[in-house]
Amino acid sequence: MAYTTFNRQINDQMKEPMFFGNPVNVSRYDQQKYGIFEKLIEKQLSFFWRPEEVDVSKDRIDYQNLPPHEKHIFISNLKYQTLLDSVQGRSPNVAFLPIVSLPELETWIETWAFSETIHSRSYTHIVRNISSEPHKVFDDIMLNEKILERADDVTRYYDDLIDGINLYQRCGEGTHSINGETLSISLYELKRRLYLCVMSVNVLEAIRFYVSFACSFAFAERELMEGNAKIIRLIARDEALHLTGTQHMLNIMAAGDDDADMAKIAKECEEEAYAIFRKAAEQEKDWAEYLFKDGSMIGLNKDILCQYVEYITNSRMQAIGMKAIFSTTQNPIPWINTWLVSDNVQVAPQEAEISSYLVGQIDNEVDGGDFGDFDL
Amino acid sequence: MPCVKVTAGVVIDFDGRARSLLDALEQQKLEVNFHCREGYCGACRCKLLSGEISYINEPLAFVRKGEFLPCCSTPLTDIEIEIP
Ligand code: FES
Ligand SMILES: [Fe+2]
Ligand SMILES: [Fe+2]
Repeated sequence: MAYTTFNRQINDQMKEPMFFGNPVNVSRYDQQKYGIFEKLIEKQLSFFWRPEEVDVSKDRIDYQNLPPHEKHIFISNLKYQTLLDSVQGRSPNVAFLPIVSLPELETWIETWAFSETIHSRSYTHIVRNISSEPHKVFDDIMLNEKILERADDVTRYYDDLIDGINLYQRCGEGTHSINGETLSISLYELKRRLYLCVMSVNVLEAIRFYVSFACSFAFAERELMEGNAKIIRLIARDEALHLTGTQHMLNIMAAGDDDADMAKIAKECEEEAYAIFRKAAEQEKDWAEYLFKDGSMIGLNKDILCQYVEYITNSRMQAIGMKAIFSTTQNPIPWINTWLVSDNVQVAPQEAEISSYLVGQIDNEVDGGDFGDFDL
Repeated sequence: MPCVKVTAGVVIDFDGRARSLLDALEQQKLEVNFHCREGYCGACRCKLLSGEISYINEPLAFVRKGEFLPCCSTPLTDIEIEIP
């Protein structure tokens, strides 16, 4: 019950459930109960990128020339994404690692969270470049009501789970009196919190970023803020993988072979799952309204963005076997898809715009003739 | 040459000019959602009503029973599909 960093119990890891079995002892990948998590790790590692590899210097001029309402759209989205990745860079580790029982899943969680820290670092890279006072942008996140409103729903399920795990691992199941407070916890309740948490993270990965993504790509369609768009594409590529991860987790839970309680819980929580999706979609639509409060941008307005939120919410819900909740069936901004194609994402070091490969900012162009009298 | 029947009433011959079913559908101007085109995001999922497909690379995306990913598959037999 209490967590231990190297469980001495000799166990057959292939027989452990994803969560709430024995804590993991040996990190071994020669055998995997769920090979998908190992594949996700490999894919995520193959996606590795560093923000500094993307040259965002041209964005500074673009940003200075944006009208105030477009500056507001751009910077607000960055702040919101900063919040989301701040949460995602730590919470999967803090919430899931103390209860995970499979090495491949444990490592997937760590790999996943690590990639979110890259996203966070990329926002600093972007903000430093467009603003001479980056601290003002970051300081405002903790004061901006529109962002804090969202923070509440993004973090609530994590916090409930973490709180329950702390109590359970310290005191076990039952009712406990702690510092004069009476608290109860059961394993079943913990599993319920886990299921809702994974569902809420699934929604975060699936929907919450996409309003910002759409704006970033709408700027880039006008050949503005293209460095930013390049970074956003790398982030979107990672997020798609994270979403696949949470979808697999939800599916394994709902199927019940892994842990019969989880299948029961998935059914019991169906209504709450719908509510989580619905609330996230409503919040994202409110966010679109806030973004465009002083004016729309070319190619995007509040209504189009709201329709996109509905469209994407429907498709994410159907992906995990839920029913669509909005009547929208068409993607109102189909051009966004080409920005999300993975082989259009260039991070090859040879690429000219990547500043870290331009030695002293001199383009090292080499043609065949340069090797003319070069013998091996 | 397997033929692909789409519930909207379109019939396509998969004649090897398209790399994947998604490419073939797009060549017919059918609108299918997509993101990664590499089998890991799941955005392109469609219903497979009859027949068999095979994956070019085993996809990572979560696919439910009766569904398949056109971005990374080709038809093995005549198939009937539904685009959501
Ligand atoms: S487009 Fe991503 S799985 Fe097909
Ligand atoms: Fe992220
Ligand atoms: Fe993520």
